[in-house]
Order: sequence, then structure tokens, then C-alpha cells
Amino acid sequence: MNPNWAEENLQTIRTLMERSAVYRRALAPIMLSAGVLGLAAGIVGLLFHLDSVHAFAVLWLFAAAIAVAGTFLIARRQALKDRENFWSPPTRRVGQALLPPLFAGMFLGLIFAFVGLANPVVLTFIWLLFYGCALHSAGFFMSRGMKLFGLIFIVLSCATLCFLVFILSQNIEISAHWLMGFFFGVLHLAYGAYLYLTEKKNLVA
Amino acid sequence: MNPEPFLQLDRLIHEKGRLAIMSMLAASPELSFTELRDALEMTDGNLTTHIKALQQEGYISVAKSFQNNRPLTTCSLTTAGRKAFAEYIGLLEKIVRQNKPK
Repeated sequence: MNPNWAEENLQTIRTLMERSAVYRRALAPIMLSAGVLGLAAGIVGLLFHLDSVHAFAVLWLFAAAIAVAGTFLIARRQALKDRENFWSPPTRRVGQALLPPLFAGMFLGLIFAFVGLANPVVLTFIWLLFYGCALHSAGFFMSRGMKLFGLIFIVLSCATLCFLVFILSQNIEISAHWLMGFFFGVLHLAYGAYLYLTEKKNLVA
Repeated sequence: MNPEPFLQLDRLIHEKGRLAIMSMLAASPELSFTELRDALEMTDGNLTTHIKALQQEGYISVAKSFQNNRPLTTCSLTTAGRKAFAEYIGLLEKIVRQNKPK
């Protein structure tokens, strides 16, 4: 009997579980690219003083569209590399979990921005809240960390709302690009770096 | 080499096809019959036989429903199945550690 059969069995089990779960390995590059994009959008917004609610909404919705397209491309590239179907059952489930809150957030944001019901900080609150809900829903079909990451966004959105009440009462001017750049840039970069390091460690082990 | 862990391996799970089914279900809340069949490239008959064996042992539960007027069979691991699978993995890891040169 081949003495390595147990190791081979474990490897097969790992491969099957990965195929059945979600592309966890692709999450690190996805998070890192989303983080870089978030930071870049924040810097562009600050540098070019895109402070009107319309300009703010257009910039960040454009960044979101690029982030979504990038996510699809990265996930697809990994699926091709692993000779797996891109639109596999777990990917479909994650997509189904993400879509309703993302669509609701985008729709509300657009309506609020173009009807003039909201300022950029309110848009930040709305997008953080719905994005957090989307990640939390998707987290049921992904690694456990994703649910926690979604919860962090939900908590931060509530903190942003409190912050909004505070700045309104104090008449303080603040660019919401700082908030968006931090939440969608720095947080994604931090989570991406964490995933990258832990995945590397797991591969070595 | 100590043969003890090998002798403790659950023979029902140890079979290649059933191990593959258990592995897929361990990483997903539930999977449909067709998802399992396509992912594992099994025939309907083969998959049905394995599912029945695992169901009889209480390792998986099978639910039948309808989706778009078509019958839908979904499988998921039971608590007993999850425990048996975890024990099986633990024993495999033990065997791997035993085989590693010191």
C-alpha cells in the first residue's frame, strides 16, 4: 500500500471541499484590489474637490462598478486556472446573497443623490449599511471572517450616522471622501493583507 | 507503524465515492442531487446508491421538494455525519503524522 495514501486522501478532501465552498483563495486579491480602488477614488475625490452630492455619487458608483468587474475577472481567472466552472453552485449562492442588498443600496443612493435628499455623508451611511448587509449575507456561504467583516461595516455605518448628527449640530465641514476612502479603501486593504498572510501560512503548513 | 488509527477508520466513509459526497457536503449547507452528480461526475444510479447508504447510517439527510414544478432533491450532512467526518479527518491526520519521517 502506498504510505502516502492518507495524505492523498486529505488532499482530495481539501480540493472537494474548496470546490463545494467558495473561491477563498481569490478573496485576498479581490479585497486588495477593492482596497486600492477605494483609496484611489478617495484621493481623486479629495484632489479634484468632487464635493457636490452628484459628483460624489458618480465617482463612487463608478468605482463600485470597476470593483465589481474586477471581482468577476479575478474570480473567473482563478476558476480557469483551477479548471473549475466559474458559475459554480457556491459562486451562484454568493452572488444571490450579494445582489439584493447591493442593488438596494445602489438604488437608494442614486435616488437620494439625484433627488437631492441626501448629502455625501448620508450616502456614505447608506452605502456602508447595505454593503455590510451584503457581505454578511454572503458570509453564510463563505469563510467565517466575511460575516464579521460585514458586521464591522454595519457597525461603522451606525457610527457614521452618529457622526453625521454630531457634525450637523456643530456645523463642522468634512469631506465624505475621507470616510469612504477609509472604509472602502483602508478596511479592504487590511482584510486583504490579513487573508493574504493567513492563506500563505496555511499553504506552508 | 501503529495500525490503530487505520483500523478505526469508518469503513462507510472510507469508500472513495461516499468520501467525496461527504467532503462536498461538509463545505456547503446543502447541495442538490444534480449539483453533486455534476461535480463528482457520477451516474444517477451510483450517486443514489451512495446517498442511500449514507442516509441509512444517519450521516446525511435528504429532502425532496419542488422547484419550478420540477422535483428537487437536496442533501445535507446531519450532526452525526459531521461528527463522523471530523473523526475520519482526525484519524487521517494521525496516520499522516505517523508516516512523516522524524
